[in-house]
Amino acid sequence: MGIVIAVISGKGGVGKTTATANLGLGIAMYGKKCIVVDFDIGQRNLDMILGLENRVVYDLVQVMDGEASVRQAVIKSKANDNLHFLAASQTKDKGVLNSEKVKVLVESLKETYEYVILDSPAGIESGFEHTIEFADTAIVIVNPEVSSIRDADRAIGILDAKSQRVKEGEEVRKLLIVNRISAEMVQNGEMLKSEDILDILNITLLGKVPEDKGVIDASNQGKPVILNEKSIAGEAYIRISKRLCGEDIPMKDIESPQTGVFRKFTGMFR
Amino acid sequence: MKNKQYSVKVFETTIDDEKAFKMFFDKNDILFKEYLILINGDMSTDIADYLQEKSLNFIHNVDLPTGRLRQEPSNKNEKERCLSLQEELKALEIENGVNQQIAQTQMQKVQSEIKVLSEKLANNLTVVDEIIRSGRELKIEGDLLLLNRVNSGATIHTTGNLIITQVVEGALRCDGNFMMITVSPKANIIFNGVVVDNELLENKLNRIELKEREIFITPVIKKEINWA
Repeated sequence: MGIVIAVISGKGGVGKTTATANLGLGIAMYGKKCIVVDFDIGQRNLDMILGLENRVVYDLVQVMDGEASVRQAVIKSKANDNLHFLAASQTKDKGVLNSEKVKVLVESLKETYEYVILDSPAGIESGFEHTIEFADTAIVIVNPEVSSIRDADRAIGILDAKSQRVKEGEEVRKLLIVNRISAEMVQNGEMLKSEDILDILNITLLGKVPEDKGVIDASNQGKPVILNEKSIAGEAYIRISKRLCGEDIPMKDIESPQTGVFRKFTGMFR
Repeated sequence: MKNKQYSVKVFETTIDDEKAFKMFFDKNDILFKEYLILINGDMSTDIADYLQEKSLNFIHNVDLPTGRLRQEPSNKNEKERCLSLQEELKALEIENGVNQQIAQTQMQKVQSEIKVLSEKLANNLTVVDEIIRSGRELKIEGDLLLLNRVNSGATIHTTGNLIITQVVEGALRCDGNFMMITVSPKANIIFNGVVVDNELLENKLNRIELKEREIFITPVIKKEINWA
């Protein structure tokens, strides 16, 4: 039986979908069978970031309604054979989801794949609740800014209240990824440190991803940044994927001047 | 040297009518077994013998250190009721001599009500050790001891006193007698209907008190203690 990971954030635009695509690919590159599922019904994006938009035939809602089988709807990634993808419906509304259907789908995916990653919609509406309901692990994505952290805090609160695992008396593992860290701004005291964020949210740190301009271009081209060996964000996603697969990778300090890209450049010109 | 510290319950009383006093203890001596009875004013040897015979602990005209009386607004009614019931009980005691039978049944009723109320007054502390996340609203009747953070976007209401040992970034609504709060520049605090300025909470642990319609903020722990 595979494990089900929900990628959540509360606030939109912090990098949920990018993280989902990169972690899915990272896990697949590690040699594990992985499927990424876009749960953002009505606003699907994951297909574009994975570069698979022209391959979508059947979507998640059609599978749940029995119009198509899982095997028919699943799309194999171009980048790695271990990574499969199930698209969200672009035409339907997120109101079409219901707990029973989601449960059946998630259970059937768990049998085939070692990792099932669900990309949650932003906000805390029904779509979000269905994504977290049957998850074993939640990955919380935050940006180092107060609004993102407060929204994530709210999302964690709902996760703790509504998750099926919690209702059964178990605990949902909650892991934190701090995305878009700028070493320069942290050094100037303009950006929250990840320790401060951890103090507030009180969950386990999974990894830190530095700000990297390459991410946008990678998303536009449909080639997740993890495929780019020179990218610092890509490196971070490789480390995080390995941690998810059970490897003990030490946390890299991307907030100090020694490793900060900005300081390296200024050092050069001095 | 061997030391021990403990608290005892003190029942403070004066003797106006020896007969009524004895009658009260005839009925209630079992309730006062674990109490220390403090008698103010005159006391005859007769009464002393009587109390010894009942094996009750008592002291006479001793200046005990006075504990702070707890006065939460929410409990005011209950407290007043408790006090008035005790008065009623005393009155009934005296009446008892005249009309014993009627008074007795009424007395039992009053006694049980006193017991229920005093238990309620003694057990209104809630202890919470979980992080209060954004969007959560915690409403507490009585006192609250919170051992974790209050995050931005969360709200806490207490009708009694409030002690929080960690940083507060959310909203607090406390109607109790006092609050103890750490330095919390982002908190939104309303204490008995008055907004508390965060800048006044400059010490590691601050005590906010309502004394005669004025709010006092005093430091409890000034700075981080360095043991090295």
